[in-house]
Amino acid sequence: MAIESPALLAGVPELMILRLLNVQEMYGYEIVQAISSKTGGVVTPGEGVVYPLLHALEKDGALKSRRKTVNGRSRVYYTLTARGSKKLASLTGDWNALNTAVQKVLHAV
Amino acid sequence: MRFKALGETLLKGGVAPRYVRRYLAELSEHLQDLTAEQRAKGHDAEDAAIRARARLGNDAELAEAMLSHKQFRCWAARAPIAVFCLLPPAVTMLAAFAVMMPLVLCARFAGLSGHGGIDARQWFRTLVMITLAFGNFFLAPALALSFVWIARRQRLPEPWPLLAVALIVLVDLQFQAHFPALGHRGGEVGIGAGMWLFHLHDLLETWHLAVTQLFLTLVPALWLLQRKFVSR
Repeated sequence: MAIESPALLAGVPELMILRLLNVQEMYGYEIVQAISSKTGGVVTPGEGVVYPLLHALEKDGALKSRRKTVNGRSRVYYTLTARGSKKLASLTGDWNALNTAVQKVLHAV
Repeated sequence: MRFKALGETLLKGGVAPRYVRRYLAELSEHLQDLTAEQRAKGHDAEDAAIRARARLGNDAELAEAMLSHKQFRCWAARAPIAVFCLLPPAVTMLAAFAVMMPLVLCARFAGLSGHGGIDARQWFRTLVMITLAFGNFFLAPALALSFVWIARRQRLPEPWPLLAVALIVLVDLQFQAHFPALGHRGGEVGIGAGMWLFHLHDLLETWHLAVTQLFLTLVPALWLLQRKFVSR
């Protein structure tokens, strides 16, 4: 079941992208498929709209990119920078705090 | 060309050309991956292409995703007044000084300047003439062309580059040199700039230079106007 309210997903794709790239370098298509498969299709970022997010993160210094040819296909691969790691830690903390707070409300009612 | 309409929308929306090029390139690569995925699922080439394009997102969604990030906007779109009104006179003056600086340094380090004025030898006079020709006939037209090019690649309305060209013309940069006969010290090399009306007398003396320079500087603007009227 995919989440239909975009407002609920604010900041989530960014967090997931940083988390995925913390493990290994990936290209855009790979990132979208990984998010979709790891969340069981609950979070499915728009295929094409992931790039402005990647470019914005790169412009902020959280990611760096390089063009690499693998199996004859040239693609832009993204990796996390030190600044990106800090951003990931900060966003993860925020997300955990938010999640705990929401869970408390949900279970209190 | 793939995504041509999307590219035009982004440029008109103020996104810097380098971000547009990169976005379109990565979208093309992503589309290839999606098409290959659909082919692997058993769809024929035409069906796979349609399904892949649908999954990538429509042009409006793809454009909105990019346009919502303000940091991708170029300066010409963010601050056209600064780029096309303030920058042309400033850049013109700075470029003039940059062109003159090698002459000053040459005169100083070659020991030509001293008491009683400059000792302008033949090689130095040749260098001055080349610099003057460059400054008078290339500098202002090149700057005018640069502003027209910036506006064109960003799909900005014509009045902006035309204003920039008009300001460069108004700055009216003129490089001049006067030397006595060879072997005599003295002479001067200078840059004249200012509003046309305030030095009409000088302008009448050097009208041939002013007219040639004006024509060359206006060529990019005339090209722009010609394109606009031909495309109508």
